[in-house]
Amino acid sequence: MKSAKKVGLRYILIALGLLVVVGVASLPLHVFAAVPAAAVKIDASGAAPRQVEDSTVQAIERDYGAAWKSLGQAVDENRPDLLNGFVGSAREQATQLIASQKTNGLHQRYVDHGHKAQVAFYSIDGSSILMHDTAQFEIQQMDGSNVVHSEQVTLHYLALLTPAENSWKVRVLQTVPNF
Amino acid sequence: MKRISVIASLALVFAGSAFGADLSVPEKVTAGQSLTINGAPSGTLYLFGPNTAMKKKVDGGSVEIEGANLKAAGRYTVTIGGDSATFFVVYDKAANIAFLARPSRVPAAAPGVVSGTAFVFDQFNNLVLQPTQVKFNLAVEGAPPVTREATSKDGVAYVKLDSGRRSGSAQFVASAEGASVKRVVQQVASDPCSLRMKASRGANGNIVVETDPVRDCAGNSVPDGTIVTFTSVDSKGRSTIDARIKKDVAKAEFPPSDSAQLTVAAGVVMGNEIHWGGGR
Repeated sequence: MKSAKKVGLRYILIALGLLVVVGVASLPLHVFAAVPAAAVKIDASGAAPRQVEDSTVQAIERDYGAAWKSLGQAVDENRPDLLNGFVGSAREQATQLIASQKTNGLHQRYVDHGHKAQVAFYSIDGSSILMHDTAQFEIQQMDGSNVVHSEQVTLHYLALLTPAENSWKVRVLQTVPNF
Repeated sequence: MKRISVIASLALVFAGSAFGADLSVPEKVTAGQSLTINGAPSGTLYLFGPNTAMKKKVDGGSVEIEGANLKAAGRYTVTIGGDSATFFVVYDKAANIAFLARPSRVPAAAPGVVSGTAFVFDQFNNLVLQPTQVKFNLAVEGAPPVTREATSKDGVAYVKLDSGRRSGSAQFVASAEGASVKRVVQQVASDPCSLRMKASRGANGNIVVETDPVRDCAGNSVPDGTIVTFTSVDSKGRSTIDARIKKDVAKAEFPPSDSAQLTVAAGVVMGNEIHWGGGR
């Protein structure tokens, strides 16, 4: 009688264990690994017509990196609600991209290896900043679970940011062949 | 030997399937214009760009990507049957301007206080990177305008201007390639330039002090509400009255006194002094 109870208990524990394993396995990958914000290094020595304060450089490194992280997640999971740190045409473009990916069953995976940005313009009143950003990525373009194209690439971006309530937002993000 | 050649062939086949051949596409295409891929294989076409991702079956040969899919400037990747190519969509000609003018309210006749930043965009809201002449014009009705031209770099042009001598609503306009945007900068009178008052005996023997019309150095009336401070010093001590300018003048009354020294000031500007009483 006692051993039958033991066996029953064992089955229950095994079943619970399996449930936990299956539940954990079904969670999306980003739940396990908090994706860090993209590494951004800004050189503001060439800023004109106004010099960029150190605290502003730090704030932009933080906010621009966080924006890239959110873009990477949003285009991978086709979730526009994950987009943070984008406004204006940059947000509009990302939203359109995600919508058309979703329609066609496509998505993209970005492994962001970091950004080196140079400030090209910082407005007199501090209301806008334009950067030349050189970024390195591994990109996988996917149709469902099939990789249709993958590459390691260095890309050049013109990034226009404007300050909002408590952070800098990307207003224009435009890839260019070179600077 | 036969085995080696088979392995080599397999390796080539594998390499080909893993990396794909290049498609023949132009390096650049102007935003909104269609693009033709010649000699394309048949299969599924995938196009990824800044604001688009599309997928469609193509028969090979000459494949066209419509301009409607190529409006956003940036890098695009096209893949057909495992063959890939990248190309850039570049901005169209300037068609729009975004204009930031600061501040919205400035003192008249002040050097370098008005700044304007213009961003030059094409019809699809791509930054136009080609240097473009942007004209900035700051004007108040009845006064000659201040005009500057600046050449955009990376799609951005900016100016720093002196405010005009006349107070009023200034139209600040940025224009380029037929596009123009207007902002309003309110120019208000600066601090009073000089201050003069006169004194007279009022009802009950009070001393009535009143300024002449108060103006800034450019002759603009100082706004109503600006504080003018009158001070009277006599044998009983010091009295101070803060009066607001109303219709160009400020006015106050001090209690009667046989002899008093009256002064007037507004901000950092001191006015004339009047010795009241004695021989008067």
